[in-house]
Parts: sequence; C-alpha cells; structure tokens
Amino acid sequence: MTLNSEIILKTQSLAKSVSLENKQLNLLQGIDLSVYQGDTVAIVGSSGSGKTTLLSLLAGLDLPSQGEVYLKGKPLHQLNEEERSQVRADHVGFIFQQFLLVNSLTALENIMLPAELANNVSAKSEALNLLAQVGLSERANHFPAQLSGGEQQRVAIARAFITKPDILFADEPTGNLDINTSIHIADLLFDLNRRFNTTLVLVTHDLSLAKRCQRSVEMKEGRLSDNLTISQNNEQETSLTHRSVTA
Amino acid sequence: MIKLIPNWAKQSFRLFSHELKRGDLTIIILAIVLGVASVFALSGFSEKIKQALITQSSSFIAADRVLQSSRPLPHHHLNSLPNEEKPTLTRQYLNQQSTKLNLEQAQQVIMSSMVFSGDKMQLVELVAVSKHYPLRGELLITNATSQNQQIAHAPELGTVFMERKLLTLLGIKLGGSIEIGNSTLRVTAVADQIPDASFSVFTSGAKIIMNINDLAKTQLVQPGSRVTYKYLFAGDHNAINLFDDLVSSKVNDAQRWYDIQSNQTPLAKALNRAEKYLSLASLLGIILAAVAVAIASRRFTQKHRSSVAVYKAMGAPITYIRKLYSLHWASLSLFSISVGLILGYVLAQVGLFAIKGYLPVQAQEVLSGSFSTDIGLFSLGYQPVLMAVVTGLLCALAFSVVPLANLVATAPIITLRGPQPIDEQVSFINKVSKGAIPLFALLLLLTLFSKDLILSLRLLVAGFIASLVLFSIGQVLMSFSRTIGTKSGAAWLLAMANLKRRAKGNSVQLVSFTIAIKLLLMVVVLKSALLNEWQEQLPLQTPNFFLVNIAQEYVEQLDKFIEEHHIVASDLYAVVRGRLTAINSDKITKKVTKEQNNGTDNGRQGLGRELNLTWRTSLPKENSISQGQWWSKESTMAQVSIEESLAKRLQINLGDNLTFQLGSNQVKVPVTSIRTVNWQSMQPNFYMIFSPEVLADFPVSYIASLYVEQDKKLLIQRFLTHYPTISLIDIDAMITQLRKVIDQVSKAVAFVLALVVMAGCLVLVAQVQASLEEREREIAILRTLGAKGRLLRNSVLFEFAALGAIAGLIASVSMELTVYLLQSSVFKMQTSFHFDFWVLGIVSGASFVGMVGLLSCWRLINLPSVTLIRRTM
Repeated sequence: MTLNSEIILKTQSLAKSVSLENKQLNLLQGIDLSVYQGDTVAIVGSSGSGKTTLLSLLAGLDLPSQGEVYLKGKPLHQLNEEERSQVRADHVGFIFQQFLLVNSLTALENIMLPAELANNVSAKSEALNLLAQVGLSERANHFPAQLSGGEQQRVAIARAFITKPDILFADEPTGNLDINTSIHIADLLFDLNRRFNTTLVLVTHDLSLAKRCQRSVEMKEGRLSDNLTISQNNEQETSLTHRSVTA
Repeated sequence: MIKLIPNWAKQSFRLFSHELKRGDLTIIILAIVLGVASVFALSGFSEKIKQALITQSSSFIAADRVLQSSRPLPHHHLNSLPNEEKPTLTRQYLNQQSTKLNLEQAQQVIMSSMVFSGDKMQLVELVAVSKHYPLRGELLITNATSQNQQIAHAPELGTVFMERKLLTLLGIKLGGSIEIGNSTLRVTAVADQIPDASFSVFTSGAKIIMNINDLAKTQLVQPGSRVTYKYLFAGDHNAINLFDDLVSSKVNDAQRWYDIQSNQTPLAKALNRAEKYLSLASLLGIILAAVAVAIASRRFTQKHRSSVAVYKAMGAPITYIRKLYSLHWASLSLFSISVGLILGYVLAQVGLFAIKGYLPVQAQEVLSGSFSTDIGLFSLGYQPVLMAVVTGLLCALAFSVVPLANLVATAPIITLRGPQPIDEQVSFINKVSKGAIPLFALLLLLTLFSKDLILSLRLLVAGFIASLVLFSIGQVLMSFSRTIGTKSGAAWLLAMANLKRRAKGNSVQLVSFTIAIKLLLMVVVLKSALLNEWQEQLPLQTPNFFLVNIAQEYVEQLDKFIEEHHIVASDLYAVVRGRLTAINSDKITKKVTKEQNNGTDNGRQGLGRELNLTWRTSLPKENSISQGQWWSKESTMAQVSIEESLAKRLQINLGDNLTFQLGSNQVKVPVTSIRTVNWQSMQPNFYMIFSPEVLADFPVSYIASLYVEQDKKLLIQRFLTHYPTISLIDIDAMITQLRKVIDQVSKAVAFVLALVVMAGCLVLVAQVQASLEEREREIAILRTLGAKGRLLRNSVLFEFAALGAIAGLIASVSMELTVYLLQSSVFKMQTSFHFDFWVLGIVSGASFVGMVGLLSCWRLINLPSVTLIRRTM
C-alpha cells in the first residue's frame, strides 16, 4: 500500500484484544485513522474507553492484535521492538500524564536525554535554550523531586521538543495538574507545537483541552465514534475517516 | 576528549554520580561493601589468627612440625643398601629442603637415665637439645645470679638445666655437678618452664636439659638403647606447608610427623574446632551478604523500571540501555568493592590490633608478617584481597544478573499503563536457568571459601529446601495471624490484614528475615556451645598437680593432708607396671620390624613399653563402655577392660585372653569390656583396668590429681619434702597457657560474630526498606483518606513486628535442627538444645524488624500527603 505523502500516521482496521481468564477482551476494534503532517488531533473519551491503548499502538509502544499502523510510512505492526524503537527515536516525542522524568537526573539532563540518544552534539545548548523557553532556566540543576508538578511537566514538554519530532504524543498532559497550571501547560504545549510545526496527537478527557486541537475524535468502548461536535475553530477540513466500524 | 566518551557512558556516569550523592544507592552499596569487607576481614583475620594461635600453641611442641623417630635419621642414602631398604628421609635431604625454604631447625634426643650426685641418684628424663631449641615457645630458666626468669636456648657445653624438684631429690645447689653416664656436668639453672613438657602424667620423671653436643661424651646412647629422636622445624606458614608436603609422604612406620593440631591434646581439639567455627561463621557471613545484595539489587531494578521505560519510549535501543545499566552497575560494584576493601582492611587491622596484646611475641611476629610497616600495620597478604574481590564481583554480578535482565527487558508501555507485574509467562526452563545463576554463584563462593565442594553443596541444598519449607510455613502462619488480628485493635487489624493480603510478597521477605535471624542465632549458639565446652574441659578447679609414685604406706598421710587443707583431689589410683606379652596364644614381639609386619610371622605387634595398670570396682568418670560389660561389684572373676583405640591397634576383641608380665609373675585375663576414654580430661587415665582381684597382691604405688590453689603450693611442696619418693608433676603453667589460648580464640570468635551480626542486620534493613517501598503508595492513600499518623505507625510497627516474630520462631526451629547436625557431624561435640535462644530469636526478630520498619516509615508518614502521593506516582 502506498500512503499519501502528507499522511504521517495511518491505521487500518486496528484492533487490540487481551485474554483474561480464558475470555477474549476486545480493547480496541476496527480503528481507521489518518493524521496529516502538522495536524493537532485530540482523542477524547471516558475512562476505560481505550484512548491510552490506542495511543500505545499509534506510538509503537505496543503491537496490535490485528490491523495495520503506519508512522511516517513505516509499518509499525510489522516491526519488532528494536525497529519500533528506532522509529520512535527518529520521529516521535512523548509527554506523559505522570511526567516520567528520570528522578536521578536534573531538569537539564532530563531534557538533554533524547538529544543525546540521537547523538546530537549540541544537546546541552539546545536543552538550555528550551529550558529558557519553558521558563525554568533557574531550575536547570534541580532534580524532579524538587520541582512542582507544573514545573515537572514543563521540563517534560521541553524534553519532548528537543529532538524536533515529526509527531508528538501526549497522554493526558494536564491530567495531574490543577486548573491554572493546566491552562499554562496547555498554552506552552500548543505554543511550542506551533513553533516547531509538530504533529500533535493528544489523549485527554478534558474537553477544553481537546477544543484547542484542530480535530477531535471520541473513543467509546474501544471504537472511534461519530462524535465531531467538539471540533471547533478547525482551520482545515477534517481528514478523519470516521465511521462506526462494525466488528 | 569528552567526545570520545559515548553518550550511554556519559549518561551512565551521570546517573551513578547523582544517585550516589542522593543516597539512592546506599543500601545496595552497603550490602556489597559489607560482603566484601567481611570476607576480607574474616579471611584476613581468621587466617592470621589461626596462624598466630597455631604458632603460639606450637610452643607446646616447641616447633611448627616435628619428625619423631626411634632411630636417628641417616645422614645420607647408603649406596650399599638394596633399593627397597633405602630410608626415604635423610638428614641431608631435610637440611637441603629446610634451608631452601628458610626454615629454622633444632634437634632433640630424649631418653630415660639415672643421674648421680654424690650418694644420691634419680631416674630422670634426659633431653639433649641443639643450639636453637626451642623454635616455638619459651624455655624459661632461673640461674644462681639472678632471681628473674630468663628466656634460654640450649645450655652451654658442659652444663645442664634441671627442674627445681630435682635439686631437692639430688640434694644439690645451682653450680653443683651431677654425673650423667660417663660425664660430669654442672647445673647452672633451674628450668621453670619447658615449652614441650609432656601432657602425659606418666613421663618418666623430672627433666634435665643438656646440650646435644655433650651427649656423645656420656656414652649413654648404645645400640639397643631406648632413645627418641626429634627433628624440629619452624618457619613461615607457607614455607612450612610446602615442607610438610615434601616430608609427610616420606615418613615411614617407625617415624611420626606431626604438628600441634595433629596432636591429640585438648589444645589441638580446641584449635580445630575454633578453626571450623571461624570458617563456618565466615561462610554464613558470605551467604548473608549475598542475600543482602540480592534484595538490594531487586529493589534497585524496581526503582529504575520507569526510567528504562522512558528511555525506550524515547527510542533508545535495547543495546544502549544494556550498556548504560551494565556500566552503571559496574561503577557501583567497583565503587562498593573498593570501599569494602578499605573497610575490610581497617576492620582486620582493628581486630588484629585488639587481640595483639594477648598473643606472645612469636605469634605477634607471625601477625605482623615480614612486610609490616613501621607504624605496625599487619600485612594481610594477597589472598584475602583476592577472595574479597571475587566475592564482591560474584555478589554484585550473579545476584543482580536476573533483576538487571528483567530491568532491561522492561516494556516501554508502562510509561502509559503504569507499573505492571513482570510478565509471568516465562517458561519453566527459563525460570530455572535464571534461578540457577545465583545458586551456582553461591555454590562457587561457598566452595571457594570452604574449599569443600561436598559441604558447600550440602549447605546449599539444605538451604534451598529450608527456604521452600519456610516459604510455605510463613504463608500458613500469616493467615493464622489474620484470625488473631480480628480480635484486636484497629492498628493491629490493619497490620494483620496487610500481612494476609501481601502473604506472597511477605513470604519472600519472611524467608530473608528468617535466613538472617537463623544464621545469626546459629553463630551465637555455636559460639556459646563451643565456649561452654572449652570451659567445661577446664573447669575452675581443673587439677593442676599430679602426684605419682605414692607408696602404699604414705596413702594415709596424704589423705590426711588433703583433708586438712581442703584440697580438691581425684580418687587415688593404684598403679602396677606391667608388660603385655601375649594375646591369646600369640606371643607379642618386643619390637616389630617391617618385614615381620608384612610377612607371615605369627608375632603380633605390641606396645614395646611397660603399661601402667590399675584396678577399679567401678567405671571411672570420663570413661564409657563401648563393648561388653563392666564387672559387677560382687564379681570375683579375673578380667580386664581395655581402651578402645589400643584394642583396635592391637586387634584385641572381647573374649581375648591377655597375658601380662608383672615383675617375675605372669597374669592371664580375659577382655570383658572395651572402653572409650576422654583423654582430654585432666584425670589419670588408663589403657588397661583390671577387676580388683587380679592385681591385689602385687606391690603398687598410687597416683592422684589435685587442684592446689596458688597459696597452698608451698604447703604441698613442704609436705612432699617428707616423702621424697612421691613425684609432683606441675601442669599449672600448661593449664594457664591453655586458658589463655582459649581466651584468645573466644575473642577472635566474638569479633567474627560481630561481623556476621552486621551482615545479618543489613539483610534485615535492606529487606525492610525494600518492602516499605511497596507500602509507600498504600500509606499515601491511607494518609489521604485521613488515617492518623499514629494508626499508620502502629500498623507498620505491628506488621513488621509480627513478621519478625514469625521469622524468629521459624528461624529458631530450623537453627535447632541445623545446630544439631553441625554439632554431631562437623564439630563432633555433644549436642544440646537451646530453648533460651528461641526466645532471643523471636524477641529480637520482632523488635529489630519492627523497629527498623517503624524508623523507615517514620520519615514517610511525616511527609505531607501531597509529597507522598507525588512520590508514589
């Protein structure tokens, strides 16, 4: 299959199931989704609807039970762990709900980490620059435990952007933060996203956050549903091929 | 330059240095440090102590090794002899080898002889010694000019030293002359302490020490004379061992090659046991350190799982992570091993320094070694360093390889899903092979240390089975505690609910708590059992004098004297001297030559000497019947009871008829019992005991052992001047020295014990810390739900105390079994039960584990809820 060159992420009939006490439990079923370069897409849905599972398949952190998923044209579903790692190293950035900074590294070192993985020789200067952009220059040598939740997430955002990824996956980036901090973090995220012209796939149950994306899709019981009503201010026509998929 | 270092290495060093500074690695480093330090200190210390003690104890044989022979060694091989007749050991050979190995040498020629002074004569034991005698221990003399004791070697030519009582018996003063054989020698000093004075009560009498070069003049040594030749060797521990290898294989039947440990003396036994104890304690120390490393490395990898997941999510390849963490672990190991070596060195020095004062000069020389520095540090050699490094590496690598492999295999998905239990779908074979690595490493460690594969295998298999049993018992006990819990307060209820809910995880903890407590109890119990036994062997009123040759007519006076002065004395034993001449119809040849022994001649090998025979109505203390029966009081039948080892040597069985030559008479009696004798008891002991009728008509003398207090020594000496035929054998000095050795061994044992206890405590702390982390999240939730600090504290305290108590109980039971096995098979000592230590096990288990748990969680409970929650996310 050849993919449209503008499409950075595409899935076809993606499904994930696990067996639990000899029963087959379908977490995801028949997911078809295409995301274009530069898109900001929110995946919304209630707890247990399968948002995070979908994100893990899109980012190649997990393998689907069925179906196909392509990231930058690479068939993740056919790649082994190591090959998927390489794809992530080349194209992907992450922001996690739990921030997941390495506790024994300083803020600066945490930001440098992905750049160093990519053998970027100017990792330190770029990390300092990003640290300034997220307003934490003063905290460069602080360890995560010495930072507030909001500050930790700002470090995590800076870390996500240092490799200038083609696509950024954010899992409930404000889920652990209070409202004011959440707004601030969201501003920062979208601001940097715009500046770096990154594709953003965001999982959230926060509708106000989802509204800031160009497009939103809703997960319900493991399927993408027809809900597009929350998509406002779309600057371009949605390219989402949404449909109720029958199993 | 910095660009040459790959990024994974940079990140690894960064992680290591930050974690080191932040204290994240403290427990694991401590575990390795303690493992390495204790192995270093133990192997350095116990090896040195062993050497020092052996050197010191070697004074009892005046050398490190002795070659004893009834014939002088030929100077060199005689070519005229047919090949098979060639003696394998010659003086030339011994000289060459000992010079090559830088050993000291001395020679002794010992015989019984009459000496004369004017009209008085006395049978003495004549000891002719060469210039350097004694090589170990001190010969202390007092001469006419000074009242102080001096250390001496061989007397000058033409002079002798003699024991003080001989002065009285021979009626001479220092400076006087005596006749020995054909020569006249001058007595220049009293020998107050002869290092290798015999342990035997029946030595032929007081000793005279003369110069070996005067021996020829006396013309005492004639063909057929009964003379004992001793060749003494001493030197550096390793050199002596090399020499031992060379000589021991060439010793023939007429010769004996021995060191202090092969001597069947109480001291040798004490030393052998101490040595076994020290090695066992060290082994247990190593096991504890390994357990601590295993626990700490598991905890380490758990803490790093989310970091690894983040690395992977960001696209780090598995090789990158493997390299990063391998280097991290290597830095950690290297750091810990280095610190461990330094600490171990300091500990060994402190330990050696602490007991240095108790050791005599020669032993101190051994301690210091030839490379000691001016500030008096002990050189420990390379072996402890090697052992410690190997232990450190094995602990750090083998016990972490599985957790580290699991860590590297962490799935990146946990960045989104949170920590998940490690995939349990690994195959059985995979599980076994993963478990086999640490087990194999442990086996390797134990074997390396004990140099005994079978013992190590046994320990390991027993330990493995014990752990499985403990695991199951633990689970049962914990469910039981839940039932108790429902009847108590809220904190107790919560604690017991926790115990039950975490039964599986807790069982793992329980196993490590139990192992730690059990090993500690074992070391303590064995220590006290050993010390007790040593004390029992030398109770406060151990006889320090023997009276020999008490004539029948003096018995009454002696009894009166003993009673009057409240002296503790043994029974009087009648002694008749006689020679065993036939077993059944087999005549016993006086001396057996090799050909006769191997040939078809019917003559049987005898003792070649007179025996001291006695009779008793009842079986003496310290004797027990192994075959046959002791005679009843009413029995009138003539019979004899023989000591077991002699019976074995002479192939004498129950029912055999033995013929004895007593003066001009012959006596023939059947053997009706075979006895084992505790030769270590400081009591008169006999090979042959007759029923009373047999010897009743023979002229006898008596023998008794006494305990004479210091202030009564003069009294007894004065008393004995009226009875010059009674010989007084003073073993007070020997007993004092024996006590001293046992004291030192006890101190060494206590030091080793302290190290093992430290290792044990570390296991406990590491385990509590590891399990507390699992509880962090729960404490956070309960705290958020409004649980009061007091409730949380109490529940943690109760939970850990209950765990500790259960562990203590199981540990006590299994300690009892193990100690029983060890006492009966390894230490070959009397078994005993130690219920008082059960209490110690349970109480100390509960209080220590409870306290550590409480202290560790105190910090957690006092953190603000928000911080606590954030920490656990």
